[in-house]
Amino acid sequence: MIREVGALTRRELKRLARNPQAIVTSLLLPILYLLLFGQAFNLGAAVSPSVLKELVRGAPTYFSYFAAGMAGFVAVTATLFLGANVIFDRLFGVLKRTSSTPAGATAIFGSRLLAGILQPVGLAFLVLGLAVGLGKAGLSGLTVTAPVSFVGAGEVVLAIVILSVMFASLFLAIGFTIEQPQSYFAVVNAINLPVLLTSAALFPWGLMPVWFRNVASFNPITLAVNVIRENLFAGATAYYPYDASVYLLGLAAWAAAIIVVAIVLARRALAPRS
Amino acid sequence: MATPTGKGTIVAAELTKVYNGKVRAVDGVSFEVAQGEVYGFLGPNGAGKTTTVAVLTAGLSATSGQATVDGIDVLRHPEDVKRRIGIVFQEMTSDGDLTGRENLELAAALYGVPRSEVASRVNGLLERMQVADAADRLAKTYSGGMRRRLELAVGTVHSPGVLFLDEPTLGLDPQGRAGFWKYVQELRREHGMTVFVTTHYLEEADGMCDRIAIIDHGRIVASGTPAELKDRLGGDIVTVRPLAAGPDLTPLLKAVPGVLTVTAQDGSYRVKCPNGEGLVPKLVEACARSNVSLAGVSLKRPSLDEVFLEFTGREFREDEGFSATDRAVMLGRVQNQLGGRR
Repeated sequence: MIREVGALTRRELKRLARNPQAIVTSLLLPILYLLLFGQAFNLGAAVSPSVLKELVRGAPTYFSYFAAGMAGFVAVTATLFLGANVIFDRLFGVLKRTSSTPAGATAIFGSRLLAGILQPVGLAFLVLGLAVGLGKAGLSGLTVTAPVSFVGAGEVVLAIVILSVMFASLFLAIGFTIEQPQSYFAVVNAINLPVLLTSAALFPWGLMPVWFRNVASFNPITLAVNVIRENLFAGATAYYPYDASVYLLGLAAWAAAIIVVAIVLARRALAPRS
Repeated sequence: MATPTGKGTIVAAELTKVYNGKVRAVDGVSFEVAQGEVYGFLGPNGAGKTTTVAVLTAGLSATSGQATVDGIDVLRHPEDVKRRIGIVFQEMTSDGDLTGRENLELAAALYGVPRSEVASRVNGLLERMQVADAADRLAKTYSGGMRRRLELAVGTVHSPGVLFLDEPTLGLDPQGRAGFWKYVQELRREHGMTVFVTTHYLEEADGMCDRIAIIDHGRIVASGTPAELKDRLGGDIVTVRPLAAGPDLTPLLKAVPGVLTVTAQDGSYRVKCPNGEGLVPKLVEACARSNVSLAGVSLKRPSLDEVFLEFTGREFREDEGFSATDRAVMLGRVQNQLGGRR
């Protein structure tokens, strides 16, 4: 099993390395948000610093709050096409070849998941780095105001990894279930924006109506960005009802549930046809 | 022949596959293949060849019946069967975005080839299949013949005991087909591999298979060695074509000495005889004596084409019809559309 997963993961990574435009494409949307939306939405000019702090839950600026949200959102954009790869592999016979070998459905799914999370995790930190760099270049940028501890850094990494695992599993599950690329893209488009817009990635928490906060609280992107924001901004923990570890647990529950569903769907898709 | 149930064998008993509850793609097929044998499934598109292979290779569940491959029950232990067999599909299934070498290394890992043997096996196969020069090129840049040979290499990298070839030479020119079969025969000789091949190329089945089953509409209509099947025709076939439709010539032709049987078919008469060459002048003379004008007379030596005609009642056409899978898909679409209207 380990050897099979290793071999299939290498195959996925080779394909990714030979297709760098996929990496650029998944980075494009978060960068556009950083360069356009993040720069234009200057909330600090409209409210006093104390009010702003309330609105963005202890972040020093709206952009800093928003940049942490984009690091979470990149987990969506960088995993969007994983399911499409499954569909194209099915259309081109590669999946037929792989499932005719002793490699089981779990190995096939697991290898795609492993290879699939490397990109979003890498890109999430790239987005954070870029957001810091924008600040150094005289634009609105990410300012980390908390001394990031080893545990805190670990929590941030873990949040991004778990969020990536969750969305990678979700999109792989859809890819194993849907046969036509056009149907896949329609479904993915129907998920992409609602997931972003019902999270706290973009919107200042203090401006949200209560009902919206209740919805956003359970959104996995919100859970992940809560962990990031609590660790990056000094005093931010006072604005969050729970410790970052609680949000991590919630995120892990999301990921576990979706992984189980995805494995079931992958096994069904790769089982002998009836 | 003793019933083969062990290593390197394939046994199917009353194997049936019904798609969507309606299309009987495979209908009670039974056969036995001994170790080291090359067994051919010959039939037109839609006959049930690919469906049979899909069931035997654990890619498709059977509706009923039993099957063992390499002594393992396919329906109960599909994963064990997958470890012991090699498959070359009729479509290209190697990864076009990997190089030839990477495709082989991946297959070797998935089939559990010992790590210490991978490099030598991969290099050996690349040489043998004549793709060594292109080993580090992406497979999608290969020509059709090279890609086919790569498919065979991928299917045999783990030296399986049983090799399934599903229309393996589809789309290859005669030279490409000959080359492909040369490699299969070499592998078979060296490893004692059992080969199960589906084809609709008559000459391929005739020249390469130890035994053949002719399958039509999901049922085996005849089986045996190519020679046995041809012998069952009882000799040569002379086809007599009258110039115009007229009275039944069967009694007239049957009366000619040396004629075994006469069958009327599409306005012509198929005359079986032990020695066609000697019989043709006699048949022409008999027709002339009865004032029957002829449009033509042709003589055919026993061939699988004739065997197919004999057992199915129709000419073998290589491109006829849709496959059973295609028919099932079309049926599903029609049902969906009907359902949608309701």
